[in-house]
Amino acid sequence: MRSLFVILVLLVSPPAQAHEMTPAHPKLTTAFVAGLLKTEMSIFNKRPNVEYYEIGVFDKDWKTIPFVTSYRLMKIKYLTHAKFDVYIREQDAKRAVYLCSLSKLRLDTQRTANVSSKICSRFK
Amino acid sequence: MLKKIIVSAVVLMFFVTVLLIAATATHADVDIVGTVSSKCVIQTDTGGVYGNPTSDKLSTLPADGGVKPIVRYDVSIGNAYKAKITYPTSFSVSPSLTDTVAWSGSVAVSKVSDAGMSDYDTNKVTYDATSEYALHTAGSTWFETTSAALYGYSKALPGGTYRAVVVAECIAN
Repeated sequence: MRSLFVILVLLVSPPAQAHEMTPAHPKLTTAFVAGLLKTEMSIFNKRPNVEYYEIGVFDKDWKTIPFVTSYRLMKIKYLTHAKFDVYIREQDAKRAVYLCSLSKLRLDTQRTANVSSKICSRFK
Repeated sequence: MLKKIIVSAVVLMFFVTVLLIAATATHADVDIVGTVSSKCVIQTDTGGVYGNPTSDKLSTLPADGGVKPIVRYDVSIGNAYKAKITYPTSFSVSPSLTDTVAWSGSVAVSKVSDAGMSDYDTNKVTYDATSEYALHTAGSTWFETTSAALYGYSKALPGGTYRAVVVAECIAN
């Protein structure tokens, strides 16, 4: 009876809308370009109403730090993983503390009080 | 004639069975590889809706005809992340407003997957519109947000679409 209830709940529940970014503690390694360090990140988009994620690198006081990635605003289709490299100058590496991804919401969403998700990893 | 058809069918079934057994016997091993690492997943469990109980007010409270947005945080390892949830203090979409809007709101834990999370609300740190929680236990936590916007001094809100955004952050320690 209990398992039947769980199955019913799973069937009736709306699909979860998730935002996930790994690793939690990325490590900066030497890049192929002199003076640059890089790390590889992965985002999984399970939010049907979100297509774009904005990447940012910040110091301990949440001030932006210059970085390079393929796209600062990444298009990630629903239910897909995106792997990307983030490059930071060696001189900025000590200041860099957080690497964040922020979901960008569409204006045509049906909800009037929507949720913007932001996940921040912390450099080792 | 019928006997021949039956014999042919039986022979065919025999060969199909033999082929299936052969295919099963020669199956290849396919590895499924997975890793469990420290991570945080933010799930939008319920999207919010503003109700319009009076002409000058928008509110997500069910009593006002609204729906509270609920966000679920899944953390795989305790003490690895903190949650920061901020209720809206401005509209992201609205008609042109000529008067000020007074915002209010709150964030609270609505459900937990582990009894060890029962102190989350007691120990939360609140400043401005933000509530900060130390996610010290692995598992899922559901946070519900209330938000209300009061327009001018008993002024009616202009007709149109209003949207606001709750910001849910998960920050690695």
